[in-house]
Amino acid sequence: MITQEQKEKALAILADRADPKLQTHLNSCVRCGLCADSCIYYKAYGEAQYIPAAKVNMITSLYRRYHTTEGKLLPGLVGTRKLNEETAQKMVDLFFGSCTLCGRCAKHCSIGVDIPFLVGKGREMLAAMEIIPKSLQATADMAIQTGNNMGIPVDEFRDTIQWMEEELQEELGDAEAQIPLDETNKQILYTLNPREPKFFPLSIAAMAKIFHAAKESWTISSNYYDVTNYGFFCGNNAQASVMARNLYEETYRLQAKRLVLGECGHGTRAIRWEGPNWLKTTYDFDALSALELIGEYIRQGRIHLDKSLNQKVCTLHDPCNLVRNGGLLKEMRFVVRSAVTHFTEMTPCGTDNFCCGGGGGNLAMSEYNERRLKIGKIKADQIRQTGVKVVITPCHNCVDQLTQLNHTYKLGVEIKTVAEIVADALIINKE
Amino acid sequence: MALLEIEGVSFEVDGDGFLTNPSLWNDEVATLFAKADGIEALTPNHWAVIRMIRTHFDENGNAPMVRALCKETGLKLKEIYELFPLGPARGACRVAGLPKPDGCV
Repeated sequence: MITQEQKEKALAILADRADPKLQTHLNSCVRCGLCADSCIYYKAYGEAQYIPAAKVNMITSLYRRYHTTEGKLLPGLVGTRKLNEETAQKMVDLFFGSCTLCGRCAKHCSIGVDIPFLVGKGREMLAAMEIIPKSLQATADMAIQTGNNMGIPVDEFRDTIQWMEEELQEELGDAEAQIPLDETNKQILYTLNPREPKFFPLSIAAMAKIFHAAKESWTISSNYYDVTNYGFFCGNNAQASVMARNLYEETYRLQAKRLVLGECGHGTRAIRWEGPNWLKTTYDFDALSALELIGEYIRQGRIHLDKSLNQKVCTLHDPCNLVRNGGLLKEMRFVVRSAVTHFTEMTPCGTDNFCCGGGGGNLAMSEYNERRLKIGKIKADQIRQTGVKVVITPCHNCVDQLTQLNHTYKLGVEIKTVAEIVADALIINKE
Repeated sequence: MALLEIEGVSFEVDGDGFLTNPSLWNDEVATLFAKADGIEALTPNHWAVIRMIRTHFDENGNAPMVRALCKETGLKLKEIYELFPLGPARGACRVAGLPKPDGCV
């Protein structure tokens, strides 16, 4: 049962008259239905409940019921809904289990309603009522409690970094190659997705190899290296702020000039674009993605690549938060095309790209695994049609979803991060 | 919660196909889960990884770092990825009967 207190907290989120964006987008959908075909859930299931406008209606019907005069007086005439247990459960299913916040619908909307923004408000309402899918909330809580979303102890983290440093030294035949930990006054503080140290550390070694080739001055913090922000996924701005603040303060503590965000779509978005709003400040250091940094190295001639070292045909999967919602469409292609011999695009791609299916926290929610694999078939079919051998994507969340799609739909491809493909093409200058 | 049936045996699993009650795990469960992932026969190397994950879980309540897995089994990282194509989390931990690790896996 939902208490009166929970209800009031949730509804207060829609009452903010001082937020012109919220008020505009709550009152704008004309129900033309053009968004339907843009949504991977609707495409996969063909059910009306998955149409983005229906998700918008879920939230606007609550808004009309509780925050408009006509809705308060004549709720039956203006399409309203009561906020109760049943509604809350339906909201969880729609806002968490049927939306990856990919934003493709907003691009196809005839009048530009920011649909994922409204779904995000729905998630905030659920966070205010403390009704968040268990596995997602557990991941956010772990990051708050331990500083990283997998709860990796500091000594085990250090041990893994040292191991990768040894691997790097062996590969380069250079005992001086380093992965510097907790050093102050470096140009760059580099961040990671905890799945890298925990299960897939080769991408750390790959990025270290790039830093080495560029002769960069850099470090990783053993306290706060987690680039992810599951508070953002949970619609919990208080938790999201803590996570953003951890990286913000660590950048100051170590006196780094630039905060470089590892290959993570939502994390990059959360720190770079949402962070200053949560923290109510502007950053006086650079916050940029690893992808942009690599692009910079190539342009400035700080690293040199030999495309012929990557002969297999490659394609690129655009992470929604870096391309449609992050503006890195061209930069990503510049970097990848500089590193591989044969490149081909998926159709559609770029800002019209389909989500991998694992976005918006869906990868972490066991509750919706079956749905996630079904909507992911759209991406799997796209990959198959290109006939490529390698799919490159600068987002560890996408990497994991694509790995599962590769296995489930027997695509027979390799999935790589941008750092990994670039590291494979590096010409190391031994002076 | 869902029911997963492999070769006529039913298991209670979460949405991702991880065993709901890790204490119900045994070697037969491992063999069947592996088969469902396309691993026809578990080799001694598979078992070394599975046993190490299981021991770590019994002692610490979570999955080991892949670093610890390599150290204890003497296997190379690449070999672990080849043994379990779905990776250490969705592949090896699931076969070892652990709950799904949280995070981007």
